[in-house]
Amino acid sequence: MMGWDHLVVVPIILPLMAGTTMLLFDGRSRAFKAFISLAATVALVAVCIDLVATATTGRTASVYHLGNWPAPFAIVLVLDEFSALMVMVTSVLALASLIFSVARWHRAGVHFHPLFQFLVMGLNGAFLTGDLFNLFVFFEVMLAASYGLVLHGSGIVRIKAGLHYIAINLAASFLFLIGVSLIYGVAGTLNMVDLAEHLPSMSADDRTLIAVAAAVLGVAFLVKAGMWPLGFWLPTAYTAAAPPISAILAITSKVGIYVILRLSLLVFGADEAERFGADVLLYGGLATIVFGMAGVLAAQEAMRVASFTVVISSGTILAAVGANQAAVTAGALFYLVSSTLAISSLFLLIELLERGREFGADMLALTREAFGDPEEPEEESTVGTPLPATMALLSLAFIGCTTILAGIPPLSGFLGKFALLHGLFQPNGSTLSVTLSAGQWTFAALLILSSLASLIALVRTGIRSFWTSEEREVPRVGILEMVPLASLLLLCVALTIQAGPVMNYMEQTARALHSPAGYTQNKIVVTPVEHVSAGEHHDP
Amino acid sequence: MELILAIGIGTLAGSGVWLLLRPRTFQVIIGLSLISYAVNLFIFSMGRLSVDKAPILASGIAEDPTRYADPVPQALVLTAIVIGFATTALFLVVLLASRGVTGTDHVDGQERET
Amino acid sequence: MSLSNEVCLTLLLALPFCGSLIAGCFPANRRNVEAWIGGAIALTGLILALAVYPAVADGGVIRTEIEWLPSLGLNFTLRMDGFAWLFAVLVTSIGLMVVLYARYYMSLTDPIARFYCFLLGFMGAMLGIVLSGNLIQIVFFWELTSLFSFLLIAYWHHTARARDAARMALVITASGGLCLFVGVLIIGNIVGSYDLDAVLQSGETIRSHDLYLFALILILLGALTKSAQFPFHFWLPQAMAAPTPVSAYLHSATMVKAGAFLLVRLWPALGGTDAWFWIVATAGVTTFVLAAYLAIFQQDLKGLLAYSTISHLGLITLLIGLDSPLGIVAAIFHMMNHATFKASLFMAAGIIDHETGTRDIRRLSGLYRLMPITATLAMIAAASMAGVPLLNGFLSKEMFFAETVAEHVESILDDALPYIATVATMFSVAYSLRFIHGVFFGPASRDLPRQPPSLPSWMLAPVALLVFACLVVGILPAITAGPFLDTAVRAVLGAAVPNYNLAVWHGITVPLLMSVVAFLGGTLLYLLLQRYLSSGIDDAPLLRRLDSHRIFDQFMTFISLRMARVGMAVLSTRRLQPQLRLLVCMGLGAALSVASVQGVSGGVISTIDPILTLIWLVGGACAIGAAVQAKYHRFAALILMSAAGLAVCITFAWYSAPDLALTQLLVEVVTSVLLLLGLRWLPRRLEMVQADRHPTIRDRMRRAGDFTIALGAGLGIAVVAFAVMSRPMVEGIAQFFTTNAYSEGGGTNIVNVILVDFRAFDTLGEITVLGVVALTVYALLRRFRPAADNIDRPEQQVQSDRETTPHDAVRPDTFADALFVPGLIGRLLFPVIAVVAVYLFMQGHDLPGGGFVAGLTMSVTFILQYMLAGTRWVESHLTIRPVRWIGVGLLLALLTGMGAWAFGYPFLTSYFAYALVPMIGKIPLATALLFDFGVFALVVGATVLILIALAHQSTRSHRLSAPDATEQPPTLQSYTEAPRLRDAT
Repeated sequence: MMGWDHLVVVPIILPLMAGTTMLLFDGRSRAFKAFISLAATVALVAVCIDLVATATTGRTASVYHLGNWPAPFAIVLVLDEFSALMVMVTSVLALASLIFSVARWHRAGVHFHPLFQFLVMGLNGAFLTGDLFNLFVFFEVMLAASYGLVLHGSGIVRIKAGLHYIAINLAASFLFLIGVSLIYGVAGTLNMVDLAEHLPSMSADDRTLIAVAAAVLGVAFLVKAGMWPLGFWLPTAYTAAAPPISAILAITSKVGIYVILRLSLLVFGADEAERFGADVLLYGGLATIVFGMAGVLAAQEAMRVASFTVVISSGTILAAVGANQAAVTAGALFYLVSSTLAISSLFLLIELLERGREFGADMLALTREAFGDPEEPEEESTVGTPLPATMALLSLAFIGCTTILAGIPPLSGFLGKFALLHGLFQPNGSTLSVTLSAGQWTFAALLILSSLASLIALVRTGIRSFWTSEEREVPRVGILEMVPLASLLLLCVALTIQAGPVMNYMEQTARALHSPAGYTQNKIVVTPVEHVSAGEHHDP
Repeated sequence: MELILAIGIGTLAGSGVWLLLRPRTFQVIIGLSLISYAVNLFIFSMGRLSVDKAPILASGIAEDPTRYADPVPQALVLTAIVIGFATTALFLVVLLASRGVTGTDHVDGQERET
Repeated sequence: MSLSNEVCLTLLLALPFCGSLIAGCFPANRRNVEAWIGGAIALTGLILALAVYPAVADGGVIRTEIEWLPSLGLNFTLRMDGFAWLFAVLVTSIGLMVVLYARYYMSLTDPIARFYCFLLGFMGAMLGIVLSGNLIQIVFFWELTSLFSFLLIAYWHHTARARDAARMALVITASGGLCLFVGVLIIGNIVGSYDLDAVLQSGETIRSHDLYLFALILILLGALTKSAQFPFHFWLPQAMAAPTPVSAYLHSATMVKAGAFLLVRLWPALGGTDAWFWIVATAGVTTFVLAAYLAIFQQDLKGLLAYSTISHLGLITLLIGLDSPLGIVAAIFHMMNHATFKASLFMAAGIIDHETGTRDIRRLSGLYRLMPITATLAMIAAASMAGVPLLNGFLSKEMFFAETVAEHVESILDDALPYIATVATMFSVAYSLRFIHGVFFGPASRDLPRQPPSLPSWMLAPVALLVFACLVVGILPAITAGPFLDTAVRAVLGAAVPNYNLAVWHGITVPLLMSVVAFLGGTLLYLLLQRYLSSGIDDAPLLRRLDSHRIFDQFMTFISLRMARVGMAVLSTRRLQPQLRLLVCMGLGAALSVASVQGVSGGVISTIDPILTLIWLVGGACAIGAAVQAKYHRFAALILMSAAGLAVCITFAWYSAPDLALTQLLVEVVTSVLLLLGLRWLPRRLEMVQADRHPTIRDRMRRAGDFTIALGAGLGIAVVAFAVMSRPMVEGIAQFFTTNAYSEGGGTNIVNVILVDFRAFDTLGEITVLGVVALTVYALLRRFRPAADNIDRPEQQVQSDRETTPHDAVRPDTFADALFVPGLIGRLLFPVIAVVAVYLFMQGHDLPGGGFVAGLTMSVTFILQYMLAGTRWVESHLTIRPVRWIGVGLLLALLTGMGAWAFGYPFLTSYFAYALVPMIGKIPLATALLFDFGVFALVVGATVLILIALAHQSTRSHRLSAPDATEQPPTLQSYTEAPRLRDAT
């Protein structure tokens, strides 16, 4: 595979291919589709590993000219450390939650696997594309698939949540369109880098309009990122969705953050409008953290607690981006990876725990309704062959998630918070001075307080589900469900042990983001494949 | 003429937003459609207005581009229309489903207790 | 010694964790195996520690470093000096005792594996704190101890008491740990390194820094919570819910000592300021007195010991707070001594509990006869706790008194210290007396739950060993404890080691007098309190109100539940309208906030055309009309909306965008059909009219607000649109397409070429969206349940039934049965429209049209058939498999794109068939056309799937009383392809 220069586009093509194939064999059994789906995702993970390797070696971003048309006119894909990282995380999460759902959840409704693959396609596309409008398209692919998956399994809770989720995201998409087209109208380009180069030479009026566009776009992305007060839909939707779906959705909320980070530093990183934007992000992020804390403490059901940890994580990263220091960004990236992994595994874990218990009952009832289709034989029996040490393993996993999300030792969550605070306390690499802004101090304080809130809430949840319920029967957990859970957490362990190299990668990424030269260089250089023989692109 | 069109866009968007904020799902979907009209026009208008310059090359050989309207916004609008159509359909079905399971057509799935 | 010191150090830390893992893997009830593992680990640890003593004996330091997070200055550093060594020995040796003790203490029913797993884990974490050479690493293990203590305290988690105690301990110590975390981060950034040696050397820099006080407070919060100092003391007595071995280990020798350890550790860097003196000393002295006082009145043996532990820690803290080298010496010495006698006391209490079945002092008495050995040992230990001469407790207490007498920071507190100390010691004498006299003497107690066995159990062994240590150290301090203490002290104080001498007899000194006073006073106090205590009130006089435990609980509930709930109520909403309102406002606000920098200026404007203006007058009116009508007259609203859409269409056509006009028109049609199909399932709004006739003030307000928002939004977008339209065209990427559309893309319809070639990737995504939505719609509608009031068929149909069909006839489901002729015409129309679709498709690349438009047209013909001819007729005459169409379409587009790879070109690179054979000349078939056909197929599939899925709902509505409402009529299988059929066949 290594060095095959079309690899960049594969993370988008592969899921699409898989999904399409399943559609062709629509009649076939679920097992068949599950097989295709799994195979494709495994392959995807392999490809992504290779991409990360490429990204680390390549000094500048590598660009893929779709249709072999020269940039900035047509669409390009851009692979740099950041996009490679995100695609990697996506594929890993996808694999985990896919394996998990194959055990039982994919039966909760039709077309699970195609939708899942299309979601992955949308995510990867959004991470890889270097073109504003193309970004919109992939956002829509991602969202459309996520609508379908949030509704997967149907039921009143999901339909109500889905209605809100869809309505709000549709409205946000309109903002997105307005922003993009406005940028085109003023700058006459859609290519991010091209835009970045045009900006400085623009007239004041144009700059103003671009700023308007940026602001509108920003709002659209912040909705996806779930920033307060635009993110109320998030906990509801994540709570309602089927747990493995929520597990993969944990990354979709990061897409908005990704784009903000990329655009704000690449395109709008020029003038005082950006300073303004950074403050909005910082304080918005802080507000989001507070909101998440309140939510995580007030939440009753475990699923809701988990959903609010998503909010906290989003808020933390947004604020970190707003802090606008390379060191903090690096920490934020580390935090992003570890918290996303932990959140996903928490969603999976909770699903397993709730099985035996009251609230779990209605979730299951909901699933049963889904199973209830005549086409589905009751396959309950195959699912839960109770493992001997199930409870022990589950509680171990729960402790793992708790410590990561609360940012206390021994796992990667602690290192993430450490990296954030460390970066925060060294405004410009120098040693600490009292001159940290109020915002930065608040951020530091909230980092700690959110840790505490998550700890309290999660310990409460854990005690409720492990200790207080007497004579609870051990949940019937299939090996297929234990494996992804375990492997996600083992990844966090690996993150902790290999923190050094990982952090280096993050720092490299952050540096590249804060000085976008590496990203821009390669893209304006128009390098389509040169014509081997006259004719292919026949020149009259 | 630009002014008229701008006002037109504004009117569509305005009535759309008004409906978007209403409590009934049907109002919301009509609102979304109106907004999508407005947005499509908006995108289109980003290519400026030009009469009788349809971006269809008369002869095979390309001549000076100024003789044709900016094709890019048109392409974008086409994509936007399709996606808008799809999402409208989806929203319609979801609101029907919601109406079905909740028994009401209120956006929150239950009448406001006031 | 074959192993190097560094290796020993690493092993010392690694072993307990490995042991913990191993112990966890065994089945729950292997007591002996577990005990052997634990014992072996602890013993090895002890041996390792002793082995490396020479290296640290004379102020030496062992260091070993493993790279972890170098870029953030965090490496895994192990560092052992004399002080760390002393603690390592304490942790391992007492750990050993506890392991042995637990073997006999724990009952057969307890899941022992978990116990040893956690215990060893805790031992490891504790050693980690002691041996860390890096501030962050200290915090790391610090929180680990909190975690393990949580698990250990909650060992018997079936009791609510244990759970609450564990949670409280965790919350308090973990939050303390978080404060400590920030504290050390600040310190580390002041110094420029987290390395312990670096920090200890740069005390001056730290103390002179502006953030010193802030950091100090944070760090002290960490230390004081951990070692249960006032006002954070209350978690410790609660933690007595843990099994006694746990208390003996955590709450005498290790966990609570961690705080004191840290204080001494960082004293060279942080100590020596008034802030230090005031905070630490005050906390210490308060705890010392208060806890000692409370200890007297405890009725639970372990409770008494718990409070005495708190008070002794207070004493240690006070000594550290006094900020003098001698104070440090005394503190370290007392840490050793307290560990020994308190551990043995806890174990003794455990034995009593174990043998007699109660720990209640009111019920216990005269046990001396029943268990003489236990009694003797316990008495010696208690005496040491009281500070009786010839026992180690006495020595450190003398040093303490000497310190209190000495002068430190000039203040009342300093002057008052000797007296306070004496009083507090009186208390401790009193509770020690109570422990001894109350339990072992007096009349033999009757109603013991269990009769103690005659012969003593093995549990006594560890107690005996510890008590022996107390005696030896007490009698021959200089030669037993002396050297080790000296090593430890030297490690902390370095050159500034004061000269002190560990002698039992210093002659008649002030401290001695203070001791005497304390003893007499204590005994007197105990005698006076006899009646009160025997009255059996489980509460201390004067301090009834101060129940910190309850206060904490209420605080926690307030913060973590009430405030959170309120916060949610204030911060968020679950209703849709406010969210959308916020969204629009934010969008608007964001735009304004940046636009307001300077206004946008207009430019060229084309002349106003009357016709189009008129059209827009109508269009705008329609839009507003739709907005008004949408609530009560849905159908009218729908028509008006379409009219507005028409205006948009015309505009597109007008301003040279034929493709758009065409597409818009068709989408228009299909959307309207969809909505019409949907209308049938919505509730009748008529009866609602009455309800909404009298809107309240709030409603009016809200509407006014919404109106303003809508107005603003409209205005905003209008202004922006005008601003852009009225400025000259920018030199953008546009003309590249115009110039290359034909030469490179092989088509004259630039827009279409862009769609299928230049930006084909967008189109690929776009059709994916369409496909995905179709699938979702289908999946959702399979479970569609109409609301109750929609189940019966609409009047129109019912009427048409009455008029047209006799009862036995099949129910007509379309008006085709009512209106025959139009139905027939519609059927004849089918091929015509199909041809139109094909034409539109074929010319797409050069003239208006293309895959999407063609696809829509095609699907319109299908839906037309459905409407005119009716479901059954259509489905019995032609078969289409929408899902497969979708699949084929996507696949075609995809493969077309991938074909480019075969020629070494990027994805979606287009080719001309003729390009390969130039001689023959132009064959007008671009691969783009293939791609476009994919689009066509998908659009047909998706649209038909959506429309049919929706249309079918009406044919099933009458069977809704049936249990499975989601079931679909069998006639539809071939269309909607429910997997059911395939599985069945």
